Amino acid sequence: MYISSVALGACGGCEASLLAAGEPLVALLSEHDIGFSSLLVDRRTLTPSDVVLVSGCVRNSEERRLAEEVARTSRKIIAVGTCAVYGGVAGLRRLELEQGEDDDVLPRVFGEAEPLDQFMSIEIYVPGCPPPTPILFETVKAVLEGTPPERYDTTVCSDCDRRVIRKGPARAVSLRTGPAVSDDACLLNQGLLCAGPVTRGGCEASCPSAGVVCAGCRGPSDAILSSQLHSLYSDMVSFVTRTTGGRREKVAAQLDAMLDVIYSYTARDPVAMFKVRGKVPRG
Amino acid sequence: MDEMRVSGDELTGQRVRIYPVTRIQGRADIEVLFDPHHKVQEARFRALDYRGIEKMTLGMSPLRVPAVLSAACGVCGPFHRLASCMAVESACGAEVPPAAASLRELLCWLLLASTHLATITYCALPDFALPMSDAAVKNVTGIYMVDQESVSRLSRAMASIDEAIRILAGNRFRVPVVLPGGVSRLPAPSAVEAASALLASCEDDLRETVRLAEMLTRRESRMMETGTPLPGHYLCSVTDGLAALIGSGISAAPFSGGEPVTMSPAEFLSAIEAEETDWSFLKPLRVDGLDCQMVGPLARVNMGFGQDTPLAHLERGRLLEQWEHPLDSEFFFLMSLALEAVWGWEKATRLLQAASDGGPECWTKLQPAAGTGHAVLDSPRGTLAHQVELGAGGAVADYRVMSPLQFSYRTMNKHLTSVAARSVSGIDISEAATARLQLAVRSFNPCVPCGTH
Repeated sequence: MYISSVALGACGGCEASLLAAGEPLVALLSEHDIGFSSLLVDRRTLTPSDVVLVSGCVRNSEERRLAEEVARTSRKIIAVGTCAVYGGVAGLRRLELEQGEDDDVLPRVFGEAEPLDQFMSIEIYVPGCPPPTPILFETVKAVLEGTPPERYDTTVCSDCDRRVIRKGPARAVSLRTGPAVSDDACLLNQGLLCAGPVTRGGCEASCPSAGVVCAGCRGPSDAILSSQLHSLYSDMVSFVTRTTGGRREKVAAQLDAMLDVIYSYTARDPVAMFKVRGKVPRG
Repeated sequence: MDEMRVSGDELTGQRVRIYPVTRIQGRADIEVLFDPHHKVQEARFRALDYRGIEKMTLGMSPLRVPAVLSAACGVCGPFHRLASCMAVESACGAEVPPAAASLRELLCWLLLASTHLATITYCALPDFALPMSDAAVKNVTGIYMVDQESVSRLSRAMASIDEAIRILAGNRFRVPVVLPGGVSRLPAPSAVEAASALLASCEDDLRETVRLAEMLTRRESRMMETGTPLPGHYLCSVTDGLAALIGSGISAAPFSGGEPVTMSPAEFLSAIEAEETDWSFLKPLRVDGLDCQMVGPLARVNMGFGQDTPLAHLERGRLLEQWEHPLDSEFFFLMSLALEAVWGWEKATRLLQAASDGGPECWTKLQPAAGTGHAVLDSPRGTLAHQVELGAGGAVADYRVMSPLQFSYRTMNKHLTSVAARSVSGIDISEAATARLQLAVRSFNPCVPCGTH
């Protein structure tokens, strides 16, 4: 099979995460042909490929042209990383730019990042900033072997060893960036805004395990994506209410002021944003 | 390769575009400009993306900024995170507890070794191991077919170091343990023991990697034309005149030979001036008093390692017995990566042995208020500086990132022009000349996402 990888408006972390798989990845790629990958091979044109990994989102006219070319030449597209899936941190960008014509010197920069879904039909989404190496490698391997990749439909909390105390001591949550006070209690119980309950799992809860809040880089869990009754915001309100024992209205008022944090990886995702339209401040 | 007419007034010739530049981090091209007689006038590396990540931080709480800026680059993200934490701490006038500073430095050394091993495996080795092969073979899978053992060795060392980082920092790519004010936790004795065992398991693989790099460098130095020495100065962070990642000053010395000049971080920052270009999204940085400078592995190898890393010190000495100091050619790139991987590994091993000596405190609470702060350190790809200005109420009023590629950019383009002048004849650029130009770019270890933050 021909496999390619294309980085659009990306930081390179997704590719670095895949390459961290090391020899097993090299052995796997050796059994196939690398069609295009500016990080790995010296080919300069995008050739038709069976599997294409696309990372990043679309932030300028050159990336849009590349995205359209990927859509034309690819059989199966895997969106790699939260930028490709939800817009990611790049989605926070709001630039005030003069809207001119494309020129022949440099690509025209867009004020906001455009989600990948607008340009191509994506078969598999692997969110994460960057996606964990084992998940990314196993997904690529499964696709090349023609088997369905494993689906991670749990939340970060299900990977986390911290203990939840229902109606624990914290009466409010904050954006305090300091470390966890306790080594084993849930971070919400400690008054920290941890997005673990609403975020897709599979990352072994690497941030909460290190005593730091989950920032939600793997994007919304299946429960949120699949139901109109759930949103990142409403589910966070419910979880915080349950763990702090606070009044729902009070918690909701507090989280209203933290929406830009809760949606920091999904600010350009139409599905996530539709459910809280009007609530999330726009640049 | 695209070819196009130049529409500018001052240029009446043609330009040829080599796009994309391969086996580098990020998307870029090389543009070769010709005069009307089809002689090379200029060759320049151009970044084709603008990300605006500094602007995202405006108005934000400085305590959130390091997490956002860690997305400035997927490879050097942990260094941006640390530089941002240090800049915010400096603006808040906070002192980080010694144990936290020690863990941060330990992580820097591990990340240096891991990043370099990945760069060797995927980007640098094909140029040295398979220099004459075509694109289908001149890559990591081609090397795997002819020399599986070398790839296995590099992969084993990289996996062990990455796992040590994961044990100590929670995540190899985000290093969440690093926070404004310190670190979120210090490693438990069992974690230190596990990380030490992992590092000990790398020694043979790293030694063999240095041998391989030395052998390939010797071969390449005989094969490659050497008439284009690097111009300008080499520059890096230093402590006591020797290369460091988190140093007390910044030193620069000319490639043509001569004594280094050393500046304090504040002096260095005040000497930096950004230039505007209308043909690239990268803004080159000029340092007052230097015509141009190169940062990164080769600069640090030239500056020198201390006796506290005996293996790296010894291997550097062996290198300088064969070639004169300063090393001023791009074919030392692979060797400098391998030497620095050993350097990082040795430094990390030593720091890990003292990991629990710093005391129990790991974090200082910050009180953001109006003020300015900065941090200058060396990342795997070279000198990196962050500057922050906090406004009334402590929110970010201005943020400036100065990345390694910006520092090296003017040197890179000068060098690229002289390489193009020697290797390109006529406007039909051959595959060999294209490969030669790309090799010149890769030897600067460029990271485009960092450069176009």
